[in-house]
Amino acid sequence: MSDEAELPPRPDDDALASEYVLGVLDADERRQCAERIARDAGFALRVAEWENRLSGLNEGFEEQVPPAGVKAAIDGRLFAPAPGTEPDGLQAIWASLAFWRILSGSTLAALVVLMALIVARPDLPISGPTLVAALAAEDTDARFLALYDGTDRTLRIRRLAGDLPADRDHELWLIAEGADPVSLGLVGTEDAAPRPVSDALRATFAEGVTLAVSLEPKGGSTTGAPTGPVVALGPVTRM
Amino acid sequence: MSTPHTLARLLSRIALRDRAAFDSLYDLTSAKLFGVVFRLLRERTDAEDALQDIYVKIWHRADRYSVSEASAMSWMIAIARNHAIDRLRARRRGHGPIDEATEIADAAPSPEANAVAGSERARIDTCLDRLEADRAQAVRGAYLDGRSYQELADRHEVPINTMRTWLRRSLKKLRECLEE
Repeated sequence: MSDEAELPPRPDDDALASEYVLGVLDADERRQCAERIARDAGFALRVAEWENRLSGLNEGFEEQVPPAGVKAAIDGRLFAPAPGTEPDGLQAIWASLAFWRILSGSTLAALVVLMALIVARPDLPISGPTLVAALAAEDTDARFLALYDGTDRTLRIRRLAGDLPADRDHELWLIAEGADPVSLGLVGTEDAAPRPVSDALRATFAEGVTLAVSLEPKGGSTTGAPTGPVVALGPVTRM
Repeated sequence: MSTPHTLARLLSRIALRDRAAFDSLYDLTSAKLFGVVFRLLRERTDAEDALQDIYVKIWHRADRYSVSEASAMSWMIAIARNHAIDRLRARRRGHGPIDEATEIADAAPSPEANAVAGSERARIDTCLDRLEADRAQAVRGAYLDGRSYQELADRHEVPINTMRTWLRRSLKKLRECLEE
């Protein structure tokens, strides 16, 4: 039993990657590979290379139109509100905040101060809507908070968590359904200085649109559209 | 027919949570991905469930697709194949599906697929032709029909370790040939 000579030889990584992509491994081996892909970039690269190498075989799969009900079921899973939850205003924000599992004490404090500064402004009459968006993503640690003040039509955004590589910038995008993303400018690290929202965008800026932050080259995207990965996003909600 | 560029652009919009882009992507790609999962899973309801899971994954992972690494279609097919094969492996042994897809079990490409495939398909076919016939068949059986080492060993009537050695060597040769 303890004779090591009986154990199969430890497979080399490239062979293992090829076996994973080919699909011949059993359930346990596949699970181990998937875990490794998630934490080992070198192994993930080998797998991606094998996916490319064997992709010529994909033409062997014949097209087959799925039944019409499938798309509706997918939309239901992705976009239907969870039953029994009708969060509005602050409740919705705090629901989003609860989802930010890794908010540290200090960033939370900063958030509270920021909210207090912007929301509780006794000097201004409440004549326009105040909109807020909590921006996050499951697989990054970047977190942003954006507030739109309908009174003076300015937007403030602040990064609460997550790093920014020195040679990159975060850029903020407004996405209305069915339209291409529109840049709202770069996102600073510390300040949440109000930035005016252009007349053209005011009509679009309303509950239901999405704000997203992408990672861009220094100075922002030069194409007018996001070019880097989206690090955080969230829906705009009325307070 | 959609261009790879179109699909990549749609994925980048989906990363920004654009539902219209998601609808378009589904229209352009669902027949291919359903073909993939139905062939692998060979059972209609299971394939439909799998297709749902796959598009939910695509929606959530769109921001991880990077244009430089692979074509958008290959990227999505890899997600679909991995999901379907994981499902296959999770099925209890001896509790196989009713084989509803035997009529498409032939790995030969259709004329249309050939026309579209162009050089990629031609290259891998050329390289597979250089392997012994039963090994090339095992490679195709694994990739297109989701056969495990055990199933391939049973089918070709060789011990599982022999099959493992066969395929390891075949994949190595295939790699060398593709990189020539």
